Amino acid sequence: MGIPITTGAPTRVDPARHKDSPLITGHCSRNTRLLFEHVSKWYGSVLALNQVTLELTGGITGLVGANGAGKSTLLRLATGQLRPTLGRVTVRGTDARDWRARRLVGYSPDLDAFYEDLSGREFVRVMARLCGYDRTEATRRADAALDRVGMTGRADRRLGGYSKGMRQRVKLAQALLHDPELLVLDEPLSGIDPVGRQELLVLFRELAAGGQCLLVSSHELEALEKLTNHVVVMARGRVAAVGTLQQIRDRLDSFPLSVRVEVDRPREAARRLLALPEVVAVEVDADGAGLVVKAHHPRRFFAAFGRLAVEGGWEVRRLEPLDDSAHAILGYLLGGSGRT
Amino acid sequence: MGEPLRHSSLIVHPSSFTAFLALVGLAFRRQWRVRGVGWVGLALLGLTAGVVALVTAGPAGWGLEGQRVRRTGVTYRAYAAQLTPEGRYAALTAPPEELPPRPVHPLETPSPLDPTREGLRSLLLSVPHAVLSSDRFRADWAFLNFTRWVVIGAYLGFVLPLFTLAYASGALGTEREARTLVWLLTRPIPRWAVYLGTLLGTLPWCLVFAGGGFAGVCLAGGGPGREALRVFWPAALAGAVAFAAIFHLVGAVFRRPVVVGLVYVFFFEYLVAALPGSLKLLSVTFYARSLMYNEALAAGFPADRLDLSQPVSAATAWAVLAVVTAAATGLGMWLFTRAEYRDDV
Repeated sequence: MGIPITTGAPTRVDPARHKDSPLITGHCSRNTRLLFEHVSKWYGSVLALNQVTLELTGGITGLVGANGAGKSTLLRLATGQLRPTLGRVTVRGTDARDWRARRLVGYSPDLDAFYEDLSGREFVRVMARLCGYDRTEATRRADAALDRVGMTGRADRRLGGYSKGMRQRVKLAQALLHDPELLVLDEPLSGIDPVGRQELLVLFRELAAGGQCLLVSSHELEALEKLTNHVVVMARGRVAAVGTLQQIRDRLDSFPLSVRVEVDRPREAARRLLALPEVVAVEVDADGAGLVVKAHHPRRFFAAFGRLAVEGGWEVRRLEPLDDSAHAILGYLLGGSGRT
Repeated sequence: MGEPLRHSSLIVHPSSFTAFLALVGLAFRRQWRVRGVGWVGLALLGLTAGVVALVTAGPAGWGLEGQRVRRTGVTYRAYAAQLTPEGRYAALTAPPEELPPRPVHPLETPSPLDPTREGLRSLLLSVPHAVLSSDRFRADWAFLNFTRWVVIGAYLGFVLPLFTLAYASGALGTEREARTLVWLLTRPIPRWAVYLGTLLGTLPWCLVFAGGGFAGVCLAGGGPGREALRVFWPAALAGAVAFAAIFHLVGAVFRRPVVVGLVYVFFFEYLVAALPGSLKLLSVTFYARSLMYNEALAAGFPADRLDLSQPVSAATAWAVLAVVTAAATGLGMWLFTRAEYRDDV
């Protein structure tokens, strides 16, 4: 059960048009670039994506989540590599599996595999040819794309000798070749040095300003925060939250979070925790082994809990939010890796 | 960093056909290296060609006349000469050390006192010598001997499937193993066209290696080999195309296409095609053999001596090979369109 930040209706994310507005939900519009409609994806008996509904209309959207949260599955569905088990994924109204949709999508995978015997320029040129451009146009576009990602001077070396950052730039260049309306970038900042990262962030903002819609996945919220304030948080195959970081934090604060606590002195802990203004209820287990605390403002609650535990000398054996979605969101918002 | 691509003064619209041709070209270029199983095929081809060359250069060659009769130690030519009246009468007066080094049948002993019986016996026993004196018989026998052991046994049984397996299964299989398939799957090209394009890109290599290997083995076989090359090259190439379509399908479906392909070659194509009964109708090799049988027959050779069990007609063999190629390609295109590859997971 996710925290009530998302709704069953398509969740429209248009950071460019709605910089200051709260989260918008509604139906598919004329500007819709990417639309997930109640999409679920099973891998055998494993549910990788669960009833995801999402609409992207422009700007930059960050996609965050821990490993296994379903980010890559969502991106592969968006690029037509996978077929949803349930629901529908469309790009500008065209089924994402349809090859025509791929004319509208540029994809930079997280995968670090190339035709290693080619140079960066040859690789991007081959990708341009596979987009359907003749030799002259493919060469022109490849050169322009490499120039955009800052690889012009280094593109004639073999890919096998590239650093991780250079490979990321080449992946980005091939995604830009055909001026796609939608750019799907899977961990594009991974392995990039701080200077290069700053350059790419500038490039992403330029692309968005030029009208392209970017869906950027990362497991580093810090990197995404510098790029966009609009994020989709994935947790265990669900969209746990969508909106600006502030919206998510605010709603998280107002949502009573259930936290399982196991300490050596549960009754004393329950008494002292109930005195905290953030705590609305405490239930002690019948066997006295632990307690479940319901609290608002989780950041303040966790800070106060830590203080009380130190003061009381409690031996804390377990401290865990009981809500999966909140678990993941907290991990990110509190600066962790997606796990609390 | 540079300017946006869309600021180009000249807008060129992409063409799906251009993309398809580029894909065929890319698939062709990606196949130029000989793969692991390709080296095995080359080694097998070298071994086969070497053995063929040795046999060709040996005293017996591919003909019957120079080969030794089992358990006698004499050649067919010498045996036939010993059965003629001259040979039989010469044996009567020869010293024991010059007698044929083989058990002599009592019927071979001349009976001059019974001229009728002796005449009939001489006539019958002279037949082998007369037959071996026929240029046509000797040429036919050498050709069919070469065909049975080299063309059908070694080449069609092992070398051709291995070569086509090496290249055809690698067209998509290598992309999957190297995890580079994503670059093809995210281009604006229909999935079925990706499948077809990679097949077309790899087909020339299959034909070059299968055809070149066939020519190499045949040329090592001297006169009979050259004749086999002239008669059988269409069947060899048709078999190569059919195998290429099958192994390309295997490469698209299985994560370990070479293993699956080898099992298919050795436990299905090689064994099943040689079995009597209707099970052999399921093997591609059987139709390639039938095609060779009919081609040999059309070229005037007594192909019934190839010991091929119930071969189908040439038209049927061509039709089945064509249908197998088309069906495997069509099935592959359909499966590839529906497939979801998560080889990096």
